[in-house]
Amino acid sequence: MSRLHVEHLYKVFGRRPEAAVKRLESGADRDELRADGTTAAVIDASFDVEAGQIFVVMGLSGSGKSTLLRMLNGLLEPTAGRVLFDGQDLTALPPAELRSVRSRKISMVFQHFALFPHRSVLENAAYGLEVQGVPRAERERRATEALELTGLKGWETSWPDELSGGMQQRVGLARALATDADLLLMDESFSALDPLIRRDMQDQLLELQTRLKKTIVFITHDLNEAMRLGDRIAVMRDGRIVQNGTAEDILVRPANDYVASFIQDVDRSRVLTAGSIMDEPGSALAVDGTARTAQDVLDAAPATVDADTPVAELFTPFSHSGDAVAVTDADGTLTGVVTRDRMLAALGDQPRGPEAPLAKESEREVTADA
Amino acid sequence: MPRINLGDGVESAVDWLQNHLGWLFDFINTVLTGMYDGVETVLGAPHALLMAGILAVVACWLRGLLAGVCTFAGMALIDSFGLWDEAMATLSLVLVASVITLLAAVPLGIWAARSRTVSGVLRPVLDVMQTMPAFVYLIPGVMFFSIGPIPGLIATIVFSMPPGVRMTELGIRQVDGELVEAARAFGTTPRDTLTRVQLPLALPTIMAGVNQVIMLALSMVVIAGMAGAGGLGESVYAAVTQVQIGGGVESGLAVVVLAMYLDRMTGALGQRVSPIGRRAAAKAAASVRGLAFLRYRPGAAVATVGVVVLALVAGGMNLTHGDDRETTASGPNVGQGKQIKLGYFPWDEAVASTYLWQNILEDRGYKPTVQQLDPGPLYTALAQGQMDVQFDSWLPTTHKQYMDRYRDKLTDLGAWYGPTSLELAVPEYVKGVDSLEDLKGKGGQFGGKIVGIESSAGMMGTLNDKVMGEYGLDGEYKVLSSSTSSMLAGLDRAYKKQEPIVTTLWSPHWAYGKYKLKKLKDPKGAWGKGEEIHAVAKKDFGSDFPDVTRWLKKFKMSEKDLASLEVEIQNGGKGKEKESARRWMDKNPGLVDKLAPAAGAAS
Repeated sequence: MSRLHVEHLYKVFGRRPEAAVKRLESGADRDELRADGTTAAVIDASFDVEAGQIFVVMGLSGSGKSTLLRMLNGLLEPTAGRVLFDGQDLTALPPAELRSVRSRKISMVFQHFALFPHRSVLENAAYGLEVQGVPRAERERRATEALELTGLKGWETSWPDELSGGMQQRVGLARALATDADLLLMDESFSALDPLIRRDMQDQLLELQTRLKKTIVFITHDLNEAMRLGDRIAVMRDGRIVQNGTAEDILVRPANDYVASFIQDVDRSRVLTAGSIMDEPGSALAVDGTARTAQDVLDAAPATVDADTPVAELFTPFSHSGDAVAVTDADGTLTGVVTRDRMLAALGDQPRGPEAPLAKESEREVTADA
Repeated sequence: MPRINLGDGVESAVDWLQNHLGWLFDFINTVLTGMYDGVETVLGAPHALLMAGILAVVACWLRGLLAGVCTFAGMALIDSFGLWDEAMATLSLVLVASVITLLAAVPLGIWAARSRTVSGVLRPVLDVMQTMPAFVYLIPGVMFFSIGPIPGLIATIVFSMPPGVRMTELGIRQVDGELVEAARAFGTTPRDTLTRVQLPLALPTIMAGVNQVIMLALSMVVIAGMAGAGGLGESVYAAVTQVQIGGGVESGLAVVVLAMYLDRMTGALGQRVSPIGRRAAAKAAASVRGLAFLRYRPGAAVATVGVVVLALVAGGMNLTHGDDRETTASGPNVGQGKQIKLGYFPWDEAVASTYLWQNILEDRGYKPTVQQLDPGPLYTALAQGQMDVQFDSWLPTTHKQYMDRYRDKLTDLGAWYGPTSLELAVPEYVKGVDSLEDLKGKGGQFGGKIVGIESSAGMMGTLNDKVMGEYGLDGEYKVLSSSTSSMLAGLDRAYKKQEPIVTTLWSPHWAYGKYKLKKLKDPKGAWGKGEEIHAVAKKDFGSDFPDVTRWLKKFKMSEKDLASLEVEIQNGGKGKEKESARRWMDKNPGLVDKLAPAAGAAS
C-alpha cells in the first residue's frame, strides 16, 4: 500500500457541486460547467505517492494544482473522491480528528512563506508543536533542532521581517519539519525566490530528503524544478492530471501536445540521462561489418558512464572522440552505448507528441531502464 | 403617494415599551448609573492636582516624560478654568460609554468578519446608528431611562459603536489569508486561529477603532449635556445658549484637552498592546537621539507605584478633610431634608428663578438639586415624575405643544410673572424707528433683514404670518431664521459697530439690561397678547410637597426684581449662579419669609 493514495478526487466550486461531478463523470467538460457558473478546479485526480518519494504536481496557474494540494490535508473539502494517508481516509474524518492529523502527520510550506510576523523565528518554528500542546522547553529544543537542519542556527531570536526571502522560507521549512510530520505539502514553496536562491533551496531540500526520507508532495509551475526534484511528476491541465510519470517519461514520451509544448524550454541535457537515450550494445558490436566484442567497445569508448549520468556530462568525452560512450551497470558490464549522433538527435529533436520518432525508438530502453 | 404613518407606529411602540418593559429599562438604568457613579466617584475623589498627577504618570508610562508634563499642564489648565468636576464627569461618561461600546463592538466585529451574512445585516444597522441625529433617540432615551447621564450614555454608545465594529471587522479581514491558512494547516482550532493569529495581527486596526470610539464618544458629550448628562457638555451648551463666549471657549478647550489626552493615550496603548507595534516603537526609539530624557519612560512597575502612591495620598487627604459639605438649614426645617429636583433650561429667567428657589428651599430644610436640560427632555421628565418642578413655562403659546402632550401628567402651579411680550427691537442709536409702522420704507437701512431666532419658535410663526402682513413689511424685509445665540451674537456685533439692526426679542430678556434697545411699538396688536410664565410641576407634586405647592402658587415676581436678579447672576458669572442668587437675597431681606412663609420663621 502506498503512503498516500488519492482516488477520483473532484473539487467543484459554485452551486450544486455534486450534480456537476455527475456531469463531469458522464463526459461533460469544464467549459460547459463554466457556462452554468460552476468551476471545476480538480477533475478526477488519482495518484499514489510512495514513502520517501518526492511527488511533484506541475501545471500553470489555474490548472488546479493548489486546490488539489489543499484537499490532501483537508483545508478544502473534496466534492467527491477519497484521500487515504497510511490507509486512513482523511475525507471521512470529523473536523477535530482532521485537525489532529494536520498537526501531527502533515505539514505544509507556503509560497509566500506565511510566517507569523508577530512571532520570532523560534516561535514560528515552534508553532506546530505549540498547537500540539508540547511543553515550552521541549518545543523550543525541537524547533531549534529544526532551525539547525535548515541552516538557521543563531537566528532564533530574530524576527521574520529581518530575514531575506530565502531565509524566511527556511524558517517555513523548519516549521514544517519541527512537528516530525511524515507528509510534507509544499505549495510553490520556492517560486517566490530569486533563481540562485531557488537552486540553493532545491539542493538543500534534496540533501535533507536523503537524510529525513519524508514523503513530499511538491507543487510547482516550473518544469525544471519539477524535473530536478521529482521522483514522479504529475502534469495538470484544466483540472485534470494529463500525465503522471518520471521526469524522463514526460520528457521523452509526452502524453499530448500540451505536455510537449510545456517541455520545449527544458534543459534536456540535464534531465535526459545516458540510460534513457543509449542504444543496445549490439548496435555497437557490428560497426562497418566488423565484429567487435564488448571489451573492444569499452576500450574504444572515450568515457564509461552509468545509466543515471546526465547527458550534459557526455559533451566533454565527445569533444575529443568520435567513438560511442559506453554505459555500464554497477558490475562494469556493458549495458548500452551512446553515439554522438544519437545524443544530438535526443537533444535537438523536439518531441511533438506520442508519435515522435525519438520516443518510439527509445521506448524499449527507457522501459528496461526504469 | 399615501402618507405612511411610521411616526405614529413608533410612538405607540415607545408607549408599549414603556408600559411593558419598564422593569428592563429600570434594570439597565440601575446598572449603568452604578457604573457611571462608580467611575465618577473614583475619578472625582482625589484633589484635582493629584488626579492630574495620576493622569500624568499614566501618560509618562505610555508615551514618555514630555507627554507626562504636557498632561499635567493641560489638566491644571482645566482646573484653573474651574471646570475640574465637569471634566471628570465627562471623562467618566466617555470611559463608561467606551468600555460598554467596545464590549459590544469587538465581538460584533469578530462575528461580522467571520460571517458574510452578519456583516451584511450589520452594515445598514451601523449606518443608521452613525447617521441618525442623536436628538431623535435622546427624547425616547429620556422616557426610558429618565434624565441624567444615562440617555446621554446610550446616545454616546449608539453613536460611537459603528467605528468599533467596522474597524474590528476590517482588521480581521485584512489579516493575510495565507497566514490564516497556515494556522489551519498546522491544525489550529478556529478559536485559537482567532486568538493567536487574527486578533494579534488585527490589533493595530482594532486599536485605531478604539481610538475612534473614544473620540466620537467625546464628541457626543455636548449633545448628552442637553439631556442632563452634566459635565463639560452642559457647560458648553449653557455657554452657547447664553452667548458666553469666554465660558464657551474655556469649556471647549477643556474638551479639547481631554480629547488630546485620550487620543494620545489610546494611540500609545495601541502600540503597547500589539507585538508589532512594540517592535516598531523600539526601532523608532533606537534611531532617535538627543533629548533622550524627554522620552524617558518608567517601567510598568515604576508607573504603578507612582499611581498607587498618588492615589493613597488622595485617599488620605479625603479622610482628613472629612465631609464638610453638610449644610444646615438656616431657618425653620419644614422640608426635613426631603429631596426636591428642580429642572431648568438655560433661559435667563429660568436660571434666575430656579437658583432663587434652590436657596429658599435650602433655607427651609429641603435638599434641592438643580439640573439643566433642554425643554423637550425636561417636560418629558416632569411628565414621568423624574423631575419635580420647573419655573419657566411660557403659556399659553410658547410651550403649548408640551402642555398639550403632557397636560394630564403635569400640575400647573400658576403664573409667577407676566405679562411677557414679544417684539422686534432696534438699538437706541437707530433714530426715527420707534414703532413697527416706522419700519416700512426703511428696508435699505437695515439691509432688508430682520434677524430672527429658531424657525421652530412660536414667535417666528407669528412674525411671518401676522406681523409682517399687518404692517406691510412683506417683500421689503426678509426674516432670517437662525438661532437665539446667533441672533444675540449678531446683535452684539452690530451694536459694537453702531450699525442698524432689527431683531426679534422678548421680555423679560437680559439683552435689555446689557444694551440700550428700543422695543418697537405694536399699535395694531399684531403680536397678540403677552404670555405668562408659569411654574409647572409633576402630577403628584401637590401631595408630595404640600408646603412648596402652597408657596409656589403664591409666588410672584416683578419685572424690576427679576431684572435685578438676572443682572446679579450675569455679573456673578458662570458656575456661581447659586451664590449670586444668595447675594441678591441678602440685598432683599425678608424675601424668603415672604415667599415661603413658615411657622416660627418671622423672627
